Amino acid sequence: MNCNQIRERLLDLATGVDPGTPEVEKHVASCAACAGKLEELRQTMALLDEWKAPEPSPYFNTRLGARLREEEARPHAAWLNWLRRPALAVSLAAVLVAGVLVAGNKSYFVEIEAMNTTPPAPSVPVQPGTAVGDLQALERNNDLYADFDMLDELQVQDDVTANP
Amino acid sequence: MDRGLLSFAGTPQPSASATITASPETISDADVMLRVKTGDESAFTYLAEKYRRPMVSFMYRMCHNPAVAEELAQEVFLRVYRSRSGYEPSAKFSTWLYRIATNLAVNHARDTRHERPEKTVRLDEPDQETGTTPDLADGALTAEEQMLRRERLAAIRRKVEALPERQRLAVIMHKYQQMGYRQIADVLKLSESGTKSLLFRAYETLREQLKEFV
Repeated sequence: MNCNQIRERLLDLATGVDPGTPEVEKHVASCAACAGKLEELRQTMALLDEWKAPEPSPYFNTRLGARLREEEARPHAAWLNWLRRPALAVSLAAVLVAGVLVAGNKSYFVEIEAMNTTPPAPSVPVQPGTAVGDLQALERNNDLYADFDMLDELQVQDDVTANP
Repeated sequence: MDRGLLSFAGTPQPSASATITASPETISDADVMLRVKTGDESAFTYLAEKYRRPMVSFMYRMCHNPAVAEELAQEVFLRVYRSRSGYEPSAKFSTWLYRIATNLAVNHARDTRHERPEKTVRLDEPDQETGTTPDLADGALTAEEQMLRRERLAAIRRKVEALPERQRLAVIMHKYQQMGYRQIADVLKLSESGTKSLLFRAYETLREQLKEFV
């Protein structure tokens, strides 16, 4: 038996799980380093034993029972637990954001399409000076503009007459 | 729902315990948990009663606060109860239980890391966290001996808490929960030899740092 073999069993020897063999005892008796380490470890184990934990309080069962009843009273709470999982929560948030973006884009395209194809409702007042307002004014005054063209032509003929 | 659960808070369940402890050698905790899975609430009561003390003590040594330890221990049982329908006895029940407890304790420690100031144990005042003196005074000891004892206990707590997370968990399970290397390895998802080595390093650190108190 050598120091390395003792070292491998040191924990169990110190805690008493390994009662040791005559060979171990022989080595420890002849090796001051191993004997010292074993003794120190035994003392450390004994020291750690001093740290006691408290007993559960007398209300432990009462509180647990109340929490369990609360759990039972909330049958839909279980699926909410899924939301508490970070990976799922992040995925769900990503899906929601993507959904909102898609819905937003879709309504934007619908608006553009509607603007291109359908004329504005007559009841909707159109501001003068805008493209739509100008087009509407041109349409409304089509006859008048046609007359202006005729007048222009007449003026040219007059000029010809005046300056042949 | 079985009345076992609802009456858990009140009087104990002698009939439930009697049913399960009638043949303790033949029925494992995993078998009892399978009964919980089938809706047997008294089986859950049995498991909660059996593991209540170990869970509180494990949590206490992880968080150093008896009230928080109880809360966390209850949370372990709540999680067991919630997971009952999906339970598969792939490992020992206690291994599964300690895995839940370990996750909870580690998460709690991480969540409250910035809330906990550097711990200063005042030997002449009650503990701020617990409202009690650091540990029960022993009437047989003199005032000086009691002070030394409290100092020793404060040092133990500090040194164990200062260990790296996995070493701390391994020491608490090995030293205070009397768990074997195999089971600790299963809980921490390590190899058995890795666990032995982890424990050896942890005890070496404690031996060195607690030298003045032994």
